[in-house]
Amino acid sequence: MLKRHLPFLFLAVPLILLAGEAGESHAARGVTIKGSDTMVILAQRWAETYMKENRGKIVQVTGGGSGTGIAALINGTTDICMSSRAMKPAEKTKLRDRFQTTGVEIPVAKDGLAVYVHASNPVKSIDLGQLRRIYLGEITNWKDVGGPDEPITLYSRENSSGTYVHFKDVILGGKDFSQRAQTLPGTAAVVNAVAKDPNGIGYGGAAYAKGVKDLALSFAAGKPAVLPTAATVADGSYPLTRHLFFYVRNKPAGDVKLFVDWVVSPAGQALATKVGYFPLN
Amino acid sequence: MRIVLAALLLILAHPALAQDAPASAADSTAVADSVEAVPDLDLETGNDDTDVDVSGKVEGMDEQLQVLQGEVDKLRKVKFSGYLQARYEISEGDADTVRVTGSPATITPANVERFYLRRARFKLTYDHAPWSQLVLQIDAGSDRQVRMLDGYLALLEPRTPEPRHQLWIGQFNVPFGYEIERSSSLRELPERSRMENILFPGERDRGIKAQSTWASRVETVVSVINGGGIGSPEFPTTDPTRGKDVLGRVRGLFGTFDAAVSGYVGNATVPLTGPDIELDRTRFGLDAQAYYELPRLGGGTLRGEWWTGHNLNADSIAANVVRPSATNPVTLLRDGANPNSLATDFQGGYVMWVQNLGATFQAAARYDWYDANVDVEHDQYDRWNVAAHWFYQGLTRFTVSYEAPKTDRADGAGGWVDPHDNLWTFQFQHTF
Repeated sequence: MLKRHLPFLFLAVPLILLAGEAGESHAARGVTIKGSDTMVILAQRWAETYMKENRGKIVQVTGGGSGTGIAALINGTTDICMSSRAMKPAEKTKLRDRFQTTGVEIPVAKDGLAVYVHASNPVKSIDLGQLRRIYLGEITNWKDVGGPDEPITLYSRENSSGTYVHFKDVILGGKDFSQRAQTLPGTAAVVNAVAKDPNGIGYGGAAYAKGVKDLALSFAAGKPAVLPTAATVADGSYPLTRHLFFYVRNKPAGDVKLFVDWVVSPAGQALATKVGYFPLN
Repeated sequence: MRIVLAALLLILAHPALAQDAPASAADSTAVADSVEAVPDLDLETGNDDTDVDVSGKVEGMDEQLQVLQGEVDKLRKVKFSGYLQARYEISEGDADTVRVTGSPATITPANVERFYLRRARFKLTYDHAPWSQLVLQIDAGSDRQVRMLDGYLALLEPRTPEPRHQLWIGQFNVPFGYEIERSSSLRELPERSRMENILFPGERDRGIKAQSTWASRVETVVSVINGGGIGSPEFPTTDPTRGKDVLGRVRGLFGTFDAAVSGYVGNATVPLTGPDIELDRTRFGLDAQAYYELPRLGGGTLRGEWWTGHNLNADSIAANVVRPSATNPVTLLRDGANPNSLATDFQGGYVMWVQNLGATFQAAARYDWYDANVDVEHDQYDRWNVAAHWFYQGLTRFTVSYEAPKTDRADGAGGWVDPHDNLWTFQFQHTF
């Protein structure tokens, strides 16, 4: 008799433990956010302001890159993943393999993916085809895009970066970066390197472009080139506009929902604009 | 080793290390400032060539960096992963009748409780995206031998970041149904269903496979394989038949509901002294998975799979094939036996439920059955299996599982009994 009911007894154990976990709730350990380095400043500002306005709430933010954040979402070690790219089908499959869900995608801001050059570089604009050929290593001298007769130094990001993946997918069509591209661990590092290198070129969030010059981009040769501004990102005329996302495993609930709702509220969106990103609407 | 050292040097030498956020930009500026401060120090020594020296050194380091970058890029293409499943099993068997579960079941222990490693997998992936991928996976688990499980080259369609078309050649999981290709590190129950264990022992075979995704909604697979599978006791590595086995699958992907139909046509061989017997091997399968979400608890799924077809029947072969003996070292068909009776019509399937309980717990239950010969009674295998999981820090999983198989065994008095062979499994798994 006992033997027959043992399976049901041990199945009850996790339910009891779950009840304990639910009792502990997010209040004790807070809401955890992990992922995109592009978004880390923005998320930190959101968290600081939210915690100031909501006493007792805890929101912990860490970077590591979009890929790292998505991996943490899949293995259950973060509540929210912040990502500067959309989740790939293979990542959604992994999430479903573990949690029986493909996750919930929540756009939280817009960003212009800026292309930086040194402030002294006379080149003002390029088209997406030229940008592609530069990063594939087919164009290696600034004179080929209207600049001085100097070699181009490429700066890129690590492959765990959502910005890297977005750039690779959208600009390079999935092809590998030139082997000459130097890999740096964050957008700030790219900006820093380009700011010190008259022949450098890099890419990253528009909000980081301090001490460097943004290149105006055009969709193709002969088309008008535009800089990443609030207006051009909002109307889509800037070629490298993207959404920034929060990903959660299930429909937001509890403290996660309260924080996400605040982020997409006018107060959260105003803060995004203040930090240098672009609001959803 | 040279590559590892090169990578280490690159990390140490990199001018902009650990600058994830603007806060760290100050640090990098400080680093840069310290480099710029070098001439001042040298000026005190009166060395007029300092600027040239520093410039030369920086250029030299830059060249080194380019070389090291190439080495690191190569390393990035190589990925190691794997997992280990360590188990403690308690059988309810009252005699030495319970074999270690799994396929192939190679250990017949002399008691009913045991520790063992069910799976110890190590996988190497060389990702030459967007062109190709090489995968090698070895196992050193329950049979205490290191053996290769997967070894294939995948050619990828390079036009899109997520390749829509792939061509695999080598040794890989047979693309039939749903359960076979699902990694054992992800499965919610310790073992696959009985029908899968019987019909695809070892899950893998050698051949070629073309896989395509159409408009993100439909996935098609066509494959040509040897047919015996790597778990075949007779032909684990060779194919005795000239004709190859052909299979295909069409799966619809609808987000919260996926379904597929699979088909398989081939030949199976019964080796005899003299001409072998070749028989049809056919399989037809349907599978479906429905996903849902419960508030507060999380995601859950209902799955089902049903297969039917024609396959070699181990009981028929045991009854109709005379095995070699000391006095007669040949393998022959028993006098009067019908060779066609060595393969029979089968059917089997399972229904399964999985429910997540928050982020760290999960429960699963499955009922599976397999009837090796639909034309006879008392040869059906039925089983209930329930399990609970606790996930620790994402990569570690503790599982408690209980399975209750039901089979008919002649009691010697004209009746049938279900042997005592229920099984408790306690498993720790860690992935990397």
